[in-house]
Amino acid sequence: MRISTNQIYDQNIRAIMDNQKGLADTQEALATGKKLNRPSDDPVGAAKVIRITEQLDKLTQYQRNNDLLTNALEQQEAVLTNINDSLNRARTLVVQAGSGIMTDEDKRAIGVELEQIRNEVFDLMNTQDAAGNYIFAGYQSQQQAFTFNPAATGNAIFYTGDSGATSVKLSDSVTVQRSTSGQEVFENVLSRFDFTVTGSAGATVQTAKVGEQGTFDQFYENNYDPVTAANNNYQLTVLGTGQVQLTNTGTGAVEGTVDFTSGEPFTIKGMAFTLDGTTGDTVNFSLDTPVKKNVAETLNDIANQLINDSLSGDALTDALGDALVGLDNGMERINLERSSLGGRMNVAESIYETNLDLEITAKDARAQIEETDYAEASAEFAKQEAALSAALATFPKVSNLTLFNYIS
Amino acid sequence: MIRTDLFNIANSGVTASSKLLNTTSNNIANVNTEGYVRERTVFESTILGGVGKGTTERVISIFAQNQLRRDITSVGELETFVEKTNSLDNLLASEANSIADGLSQFFAAIQTASDDPTNLASREAVLGKASGLLSRMSTLSDFMEAKEEELNLEFTSQIERANSLIASIGELNTAVLTARGGSGEEPGALLNERDKAINELAELMSVEVRENQYGSVVVNLSSGESLVLEDGSFNLFELGNDADLTFKELQLTTNFANKQNTAINVNEKDLGGSLGGLFRFRDEILGPAQRDIGQMALAMADAVNQQNRLGMDLDLQLGGDIFSMPEFTGLPFSGTPDNLPVRAQVTAGQGNQLTDADYKITVDAVNGAGFPTSVTVELLNGDGTPKKDASGADVVFTGISVGAGFNELPGGIEVEFQAATGYSVDNEFLIQPSKYAASDLTLATDRPEDLAFAAPLRAEASLSNLGDATVSKVSISNTTVDAALGAEASAFDGAGGIHSAASAPGGTVGAPAQIVFTSASDFQVLDDAGNVITNVSGVTSFDNLLAQAEANGTGPAWPAAFSALDDYPGYDVSLSGIPVAGDSFNLTYNTDGIADNTNAEEMAALQRESLVQLSSDSSNKQRTFHDAYSSLVGRVGEKSATAQISLDAAEAMKVQSENWFDSTSGVSLDEEAANLVRYQQSYAAAARILTTAQELFDTILSAAR
Repeated sequence: MRISTNQIYDQNIRAIMDNQKGLADTQEALATGKKLNRPSDDPVGAAKVIRITEQLDKLTQYQRNNDLLTNALEQQEAVLTNINDSLNRARTLVVQAGSGIMTDEDKRAIGVELEQIRNEVFDLMNTQDAAGNYIFAGYQSQQQAFTFNPAATGNAIFYTGDSGATSVKLSDSVTVQRSTSGQEVFENVLSRFDFTVTGSAGATVQTAKVGEQGTFDQFYENNYDPVTAANNNYQLTVLGTGQVQLTNTGTGAVEGTVDFTSGEPFTIKGMAFTLDGTTGDTVNFSLDTPVKKNVAETLNDIANQLINDSLSGDALTDALGDALVGLDNGMERINLERSSLGGRMNVAESIYETNLDLEITAKDARAQIEETDYAEASAEFAKQEAALSAALATFPKVSNLTLFNYIS
Repeated sequence: MIRTDLFNIANSGVTASSKLLNTTSNNIANVNTEGYVRERTVFESTILGGVGKGTTERVISIFAQNQLRRDITSVGELETFVEKTNSLDNLLASEANSIADGLSQFFAAIQTASDDPTNLASREAVLGKASGLLSRMSTLSDFMEAKEEELNLEFTSQIERANSLIASIGELNTAVLTARGGSGEEPGALLNERDKAINELAELMSVEVRENQYGSVVVNLSSGESLVLEDGSFNLFELGNDADLTFKELQLTTNFANKQNTAINVNEKDLGGSLGGLFRFRDEILGPAQRDIGQMALAMADAVNQQNRLGMDLDLQLGGDIFSMPEFTGLPFSGTPDNLPVRAQVTAGQGNQLTDADYKITVDAVNGAGFPTSVTVELLNGDGTPKKDASGADVVFTGISVGAGFNELPGGIEVEFQAATGYSVDNEFLIQPSKYAASDLTLATDRPEDLAFAAPLRAEASLSNLGDATVSKVSISNTTVDAALGAEASAFDGAGGIHSAASAPGGTVGAPAQIVFTSASDFQVLDDAGNVITNVSGVTSFDNLLAQAEANGTGPAWPAAFSALDDYPGYDVSLSGIPVAGDSFNLTYNTDGIADNTNAEEMAALQRESLVQLSSDSSNKQRTFHDAYSSLVGRVGEKSATAQISLDAAEAMKVQSENWFDSTSGVSLDEEAANLVRYQQSYAAAARILTTAQELFDTILSAAR
């Protein structure tokens, strides 16, 4: 083939340019540590990198959510643990107050201590987080969750928040509850179930109280009718057979009979009565509407009663019983919440670990697509360098070979 | 006789050698001249002795030349295409401009803010990231808009260049004919000039060249349109446009001096060359990318706006828009008067229906007053060709009736004919919702309080409930405030409450405000005044109680006035756990409920929702924002990579054909050096003949003396 002069030059220049471009590309990959420097380097990879980066960004945010959530849950747990400790102390005091050897002064002293515990618990129930939000106020976090008004009729300590609970996303599929409202933790506590004698015909009621609380609670739960009030009315009838019969006056259902001797105590469905009466006499009573009381309110009630009223006998037993049941129910709710908190923290931790694993996998996948393999790139660089030097070295030699040099 | 002949022979030999030396010297001198084709002089011997008159001609292979020209065209096209595509490719590679990053940061900011919805600083961060996202989008969109302007300028300059080349080819044609006719010699310089001009034209566009027996050439576009005719007359290019003034189209016009000139449209797709490369870049890369970014921006803004509207902000008001949506002007096609204003906007809540298409609206019918009553909508690609649906048919919607105000059209936009009169049948308007949208989006608010992170409604279990049922979910689907109770009205009154009987549809009962269970499987829905709205019995699931009430409520049934509206009351509630008789749940406006993050979580979840239509067809399913962006990046990268490979191939082809051409027509200095020596010698030899003749003559003379 005939080679024209320009072909020789063009060929050489092209070879040098090609080599230089290759070197520049390899050098960029080495310098940036990335082999994917623009989408066209690997279009499918570039699209994949965008999605993986999105996933990584999300994971970073989820880990951040997780940290914030864990902080919030830990604070709640600390508060609830403190309250629980205080309530245990209060429970001991209440039991002490029931001891027969206590004088009125002793009981008053116990009452004063219970008052202090009430204040402490009340404060804890109004705990604020770092941003000043009341953590147990539900959605209305800028307002104090519980208010104390000693002059109020009914409950002196009442809830002013709502039942809102917020949650936080920890992964694409897992959302964990972040806050629990005070209504759920403190307010949703039933006080002791009780009944009230409403009247009698013929019989005289000496005593009427809950004797066996557990048995009565079961009876109450099975039979209390929140819709039709009349179905909560009962009648005890003294039968000719030396028994009394318990009848629901609303439905007419006979709930049971028990042996009866006038003036002697008897217990039916957990209720202890002592009646004076003869055949045909009746006593009417009804189940009290269930009342919900928070623990601070329970503490407030018992403290007031111990300080102000010189209670003794049945009244004292009743009051202490109310307090004990109230405290126990309250602690049960709090402990339930604590175990729920623990559960949620465990979930958060395990998701944290999972997210870390996912993060590593995703980073790995991204690195595979976009990062330079230094060994390969260095080898490539050396190869291209050699080719360029060869081109540069041969160019002058080839171009110097011209016939004109030999014609004199 | 012989003596005279010797002189003649010597003379012809010297002349021939000198001509050969001339040609060789010319070749050497032009070794670096672009477009120079080496020449050679050939002689014939004559019967009378001596060498005849030589002819100098170019050494050229017409096949190599044609091949080279085709390769110049394809390299020209691909070089331009790759260069332009690379600029977009590089822009998309930059992390500082990555929309994906911007989206991630925006949604991450929402999540952070949702962890503590009352924190103004983190709310500020959400707005900051939102404006960061907008600026990333507009950087891309502005860049592409600037590219479009630059393209139009380049079209103009390339067309001017093409026109001047066409004109000079025409003139050279005439000159070649004249020169040929004069001397009969091949006018090498003129031919080289013409070939050079044709090659330059071939770099701009794909041309076919035919040479006739008289040496003049006919130049056609590869698609058939004549550019230069044999007699030297020629046609010229010019740019035109239709509805979209920035969308230039190529036309070819005749160039008669005294006659009516006509213009025809040229198909830019088949043009080839660097001009064709520019058109290809505009139609295949730039136009679709502009629209994809715009479509994504609109879908994102609409989705965030809608979600924000479903919430309650820090001022305890129902949420408003976060982004202000741009308005699009209808551009009249040629033949439609330009004094008929038409505007369009994205139908609120329909951002996920929006495609990347342009919409061509044709008036089908007008009423007596000249106002449109029915229109046809065609979905077009950026280059003006119709969109195809899955079965390959054009996407056209016919017979859509319209009236005053905004009219909803298929594909997520609504259009308003603003003039009261003056429209006529076959008026055509072009609406381009997505083309510049990414540049036109702005934030509608700079108040962090306006982010509606709370749900506007809360459902609370009554404190005296004995069952363990709790509210598991309050879902809000509509918060439109409309005291006139239009079809879109919700139960929210816009003043921090929900409708009571007086303001609710029907006027007898208010919006649902309380749910009371009469047994574990029966419940009543009541309004805020305790009026029974409906009773539901035999409930097996506690999800969406109000929807169940609407479907199954009896004695009284769910109010017909409620069902008549699109979505009333616009909220629903689900329970978990088992309620017992007497349990009640109250639904109230979420007054002071600013720690609620329900709506913020929903807003953050938009990141994973499929809200962007696939490009081709509005009935396709959607994909996520990140997905949409990554496929845009992937597509541009793919095109750029493929074009780069084709360019490499074309360049290799061109090198080959250049080699072919050069090895025939290029000057080799070594060859010329050898020729120089050879012709020098033949010159000396011919001159020697003269001396010999002289000596012979002298010998004769002295002998005769």
